[in-house]
Amino acid sequence: MNWVLALPEIVLSLVAMVILIFGVLRQDDSFFLSSMFALGGFLLAALLVLTTGSGIGYHGQFVADAFSSLVKILILAGAGLSLILSLDYNRHNHIARFEFPVLMLLSVTGMMVMASASNLMTLYLGLELQSLGLYVLAAFARDDLRSSEAGLKYFVLSALASGLLLYGVSLVYGFSGTMDFAALARTLTIPQSASPGLIVGIVFVLVGLAFKISAVPFHMWTPDVYEGAPTPVTAFFSTAPKVAAFALLLRTMATPFGHQLIAWQTLIIIVSVASMILGALAAIGQSNIKRLMAYSSIGHMGYALIGLAVGTPEGVRGVLIYLIVYVFMSAGTFACIIAMQRRGRPLELITDLNGLSATDPALALAMAIFMFSMAGVPPLAGFFGKLYVFLAAVQGGLWTLAVIGVLTSVVGSYYYLRIVKLMYFDAPEEPFDPRPTALSFVAGATGLFTAFFFVFPAPFVGAAQAAAKVLFG
Amino acid sequence: MIYAVAVFAPLFGSLVSGLLGRAIGDRAAEAVSILCMLVAAVLGPLACFQLVSGEADAGSVYLANWIEAGRFHVTWQLRYDTLSAAMVAMVTFVSMLIHVYSIGYMAHDAYPHYRFFSYLSLFTFSMLMLVTADNLLQLFFGWEGVGLCSYLLIGYWYDRPSANAAAIKAFIVNRIGDLAFAVGVALVFFKFGSIEFSTIFPAIPQHQADTYSVLGGTFPAFEVIGVLLFIGAMGKSAQIGLHVWLPDAMEGPTPVSALIHAATMVTAGVFLVARMSPLYEFAPFALGMVTFIGATTALFAATIGCAQNDIKRVIAYSTCSQLGYMFTAAGVGAFQVSIFHLMTHAFFKALLFLSAGSVIHAMSDEQDMRKMGGLGRMIPWTCTVMWIGSLALSGIPPFAGYYSKDAIIAASFASGTGIGMYGFVCTVLAAFLTAFYSWRLLIMTFHGKPRADHHVLEHVHESPWVMIGPLLVLALGALIAGKLLDPWFIGEDWQAFWNGSIFNAPNNHVLAALESVPPWAELAPLVMGLAGIALAYLMYMVFPLLPMRLATQFRGIYLFLLNKWYFDELYDAIFVRPAIRLARTLWQTGDATLIDGVPNGLAELTVDGSRQAVKIQTGSLAVYAFVMLIGVVLLVGIFLVSR
Amino acid sequence: MIANIAFYVCSIILLASAALVVSSRNPVHSVLFLILSFFNAAVLFLIAGAEFLALILVIVYVGAVAVLFLFVVMMLDIDFAELRSGFQRYLPVGATVGAVLFVELVFVLGGWEFAPQAPVLRFSPAPANVSNTAALGRLLYTDYIFLFQAAGILLLVAMIGAIVLTLRDRKTSRHQSIRAQTDRTVAETLELVTVTVGAGVKEIGILRPKPVDPEPVEEVHHGN
Repeated sequence: MNWVLALPEIVLSLVAMVILIFGVLRQDDSFFLSSMFALGGFLLAALLVLTTGSGIGYHGQFVADAFSSLVKILILAGAGLSLILSLDYNRHNHIARFEFPVLMLLSVTGMMVMASASNLMTLYLGLELQSLGLYVLAAFARDDLRSSEAGLKYFVLSALASGLLLYGVSLVYGFSGTMDFAALARTLTIPQSASPGLIVGIVFVLVGLAFKISAVPFHMWTPDVYEGAPTPVTAFFSTAPKVAAFALLLRTMATPFGHQLIAWQTLIIIVSVASMILGALAAIGQSNIKRLMAYSSIGHMGYALIGLAVGTPEGVRGVLIYLIVYVFMSAGTFACIIAMQRRGRPLELITDLNGLSATDPALALAMAIFMFSMAGVPPLAGFFGKLYVFLAAVQGGLWTLAVIGVLTSVVGSYYYLRIVKLMYFDAPEEPFDPRPTALSFVAGATGLFTAFFFVFPAPFVGAAQAAAKVLFG
Repeated sequence: MIYAVAVFAPLFGSLVSGLLGRAIGDRAAEAVSILCMLVAAVLGPLACFQLVSGEADAGSVYLANWIEAGRFHVTWQLRYDTLSAAMVAMVTFVSMLIHVYSIGYMAHDAYPHYRFFSYLSLFTFSMLMLVTADNLLQLFFGWEGVGLCSYLLIGYWYDRPSANAAAIKAFIVNRIGDLAFAVGVALVFFKFGSIEFSTIFPAIPQHQADTYSVLGGTFPAFEVIGVLLFIGAMGKSAQIGLHVWLPDAMEGPTPVSALIHAATMVTAGVFLVARMSPLYEFAPFALGMVTFIGATTALFAATIGCAQNDIKRVIAYSTCSQLGYMFTAAGVGAFQVSIFHLMTHAFFKALLFLSAGSVIHAMSDEQDMRKMGGLGRMIPWTCTVMWIGSLALSGIPPFAGYYSKDAIIAASFASGTGIGMYGFVCTVLAAFLTAFYSWRLLIMTFHGKPRADHHVLEHVHESPWVMIGPLLVLALGALIAGKLLDPWFIGEDWQAFWNGSIFNAPNNHVLAALESVPPWAELAPLVMGLAGIALAYLMYMVFPLLPMRLATQFRGIYLFLLNKWYFDELYDAIFVRPAIRLARTLWQTGDATLIDGVPNGLAELTVDGSRQAVKIQTGSLAVYAFVMLIGVVLLVGIFLVSR
Repeated sequence: MIANIAFYVCSIILLASAALVVSSRNPVHSVLFLILSFFNAAVLFLIAGAEFLALILVIVYVGAVAVLFLFVVMMLDIDFAELRSGFQRYLPVGATVGAVLFVELVFVLGGWEFAPQAPVLRFSPAPANVSNTAALGRLLYTDYIFLFQAAGILLLVAMIGAIVLTLRDRKTSRHQSIRAQTDRTVAETLELVTVTVGAGVKEIGILRPKPVDPEPVEEVHHGN
């Protein structure tokens, strides 16, 4: 048994426990130190992900390959950026407690388990480990009513989704006799083994995972949770868990159920179209920027789902590129949102950005880059994300999907550009508080990535290609 | 390795001075960018020398992958062969001198200098990217980079409306050429399935017979690609038709003009034709067009040069004309000769521009030659180097121009074709006019009686050494570069020197035939040059009133030449005004009513949809759960139905 | 035969009591029905030959979890009328959705066809000569060690989460400081007084506790 494969996960959970002990023993304020430890843990885990080899371990329950490595690096990057964002925010809002990085670490452990799941049981445990941390993080500002409500809502709905997922898993197990991905794939090559019961099981599994990536109609929690949770947690929500859940969806649909493409393709197409349309439409009327980002993320997941609907290595490659771009774009946007503070009070209204270009041109520029990128304006990174997905759709013959994607992104660009318009053409208001260095760092780094992605897309495309190939290998 | 450093040092300098310029101050920014240029100017020629002496092998320096999309692979890669290396050597060296010169020239400028130096270095880097490109897309990147930087630099004094207008003009005229170029690149990709030079060039013979059928006619594929690429080159190299931006580009600071005209930008077109020589050698019609346009431009620009009064404009038109020479040579298959002229021209044109800048500097920003005269004794250094530059330009032995220009004229004669003969006649006539306007410029500026008012004359002073120094170096180059480079570029060693980086078809013997040109044809340009000098001396030194009388006598011709053959007016009438009229019509009927109407209606629909979409978001947990469950039911139902 | 009868009886009771958990009006009854369904599930395990699981179910779920539920239900004063009003409101929608889903599942599962290899794959023989408990332990700590540990971490997260969300230091809350207790000396707290026989309070006077330095009250910010 090759236990080394899970070394990154093991190290992350050990780091979490060490911080836990450290935090309990040190009575005084230990949030900053714990966060630094946690960041170190993320870095170490990323190194380990890159260095540990690939293979299948733990009795076929755990797999490490190019796909899982790429996804894990992405998860760690998203989590690390969100943690950096939380440093100053948590202090200002009196939620700077050492449990925050601990929960984040354990949740990330769950996500990494998800990325490596090659058994329905591993899938479920990873998913729950991730979710449990997220519930608590969403409710972390426990004296803020909206935050507690967010946590509770997410918890209840997530429990419902988990139930559906478990029901699906039990159906799949009952009808096929196995939970192992490889064995499932072998079983399903025989046409008669794809009984209706098994397929409905797949549908239920799909529903459970669609909830996690907040695809329509399982998206209802997203706006409330995004709005209610502390902003760094929202940033976390919109990066790492999305990647992890999407990775899980990709692997589950492509590897064990890949032969049943016809059975689930229609469903993915429907979910994708619904997400794109709702994401584009519902965001227009929003006045709270966090809520707007929630709908934006729903839309983005819809675009990414196009790649899955195609069901080809090119499609999966497109999804992965989309996710790479999305994580950095999203983290950067939230860095800008967290920077919206006046006299120590965080602001969330879109109109608070009025005339930002006059009071803080650098922040306005960064925000504008992210908004343009989210709208898919070339040559920014977001454009390439959409390009590769639409390209795969066209190659796979799903013209309608690509056309709807283009149309909805036109509609969607309205609210992104409205923010740019507010920042650049409206009368300035009182300037924001001075930005902490951490925010400037995150916004700057991700902004540069977003703006100059077109110069060096090849390594990312190459990694995504290699990862996609593994799933269909 | 040193090659890559030479290419990227200017980028580094540009980034440092551009991004950190405000923080580290002007002097530091200047120092950094000049230091980087110095590094590049040492390593660039060194890399070239290593290649020529056989210490290094030709090849390419791999940097990174750029684009992977299906069959379409592009890498960042620096091509390392004689053509690229020679261009790198020239560009880095001349650009470095211009950087140094700029310290003095821009010293009194009101704006912060770091911006200028950043643009200047970026310009150099773009050009280096262009000449070291290993594929057409990278070349296009440099091509557009050069266009962008020229826009930034021509419009450097952004508060002058004329500078802005000139910058926009340069950008748009270049864009016309770029469009053709981009289409050409696309055709190359469709034809060869790749845009890497190393893949295209060996595959050329296989596609020789391919054709395109457009508009009922059938055209050989290579001719179409060749003509499209050449149109791109025309835009960059300011050939007749697309030349209108070049004289206006004088609105930028003089070092910029020098950089545009000597080392970067305008030579890109010539370089492109030489780089694509394997393709052009199989496109005889396209080559004929190159010669025709080149020779016509050479003559046409020279005639205009004779009637201009702005010192920089005269030199600008001379650039136009000299580029015409280069294309003439390229068109008859003597690509080596055209690159040779490009090199020597870089020296003496940079020299002329920088010394013109020195004159303008001395004259307190006066550019009109009619208000100069008699400056020779006051600014002797500038006068001397300008003389050297003019001698080189006019092709008087043993100055640099003599070798390269005479080789061009001889090559066009030696080609023996009809179009070659046309080129020969045009270039010989242009040689006469070149000598004439050069000496007209010299005499009006440095000799005769001072015509400036005494306020200006009191302030006339020799430029500081930081400006004179580069001039002297360039003057040395203008003096000996021809003699020095002649045996390598076109002399007996040319095959070993170029080492296959420029392709000559097996039946192309132009370079060999250079030696067997009859003596009268060989002497013709020299004689014409001397005659031009003599005429200029007569008209402006001995009978200074003669030009005035001629101008009134032949008023039509004079105005025709003074107004640059009315090209700007023509374009204004044919393209600009109808375009504005069309745009206005489209705006009023098409845009305001139709196009605005549809989206406005759609937008209202969208907002309605948005309101509906948000309505179910009530915040009630039970509703959320029900929506999820209904979703499940729907999905299972859809699955049941679609099964 | 008896096993079969037992299976069906227990299954029916299990399903019925599960339905009653949801539908009974009194929350205490709900919990009691829950316990009943646990017991029946345990019997099903026994019939399947998994005696360890059956006992664990009884001990852990009935003994601990259900009793805890009972405590919570009794301690929290839940207004069931209010809950029920929501129930009434959503009943039509809920019933429709449930019915449709049920019909769909019946359609789907009506076919009841397993994958050909399913029985083979599912069949994992219990090792011979080893008790049920030992067999389970072997599996848990060897083949499924990864999942076992992951589940452990999951519980850890749940613990941390509960503490994070609920534990707060109020100024009024009293903490036991063991160190302070063990550190104190006799002299600090005890004064030995020799009392003459027959002396009353009037003679000795009333002894008051020594004024102690007040413990520094820590300002705790947990989102107050």
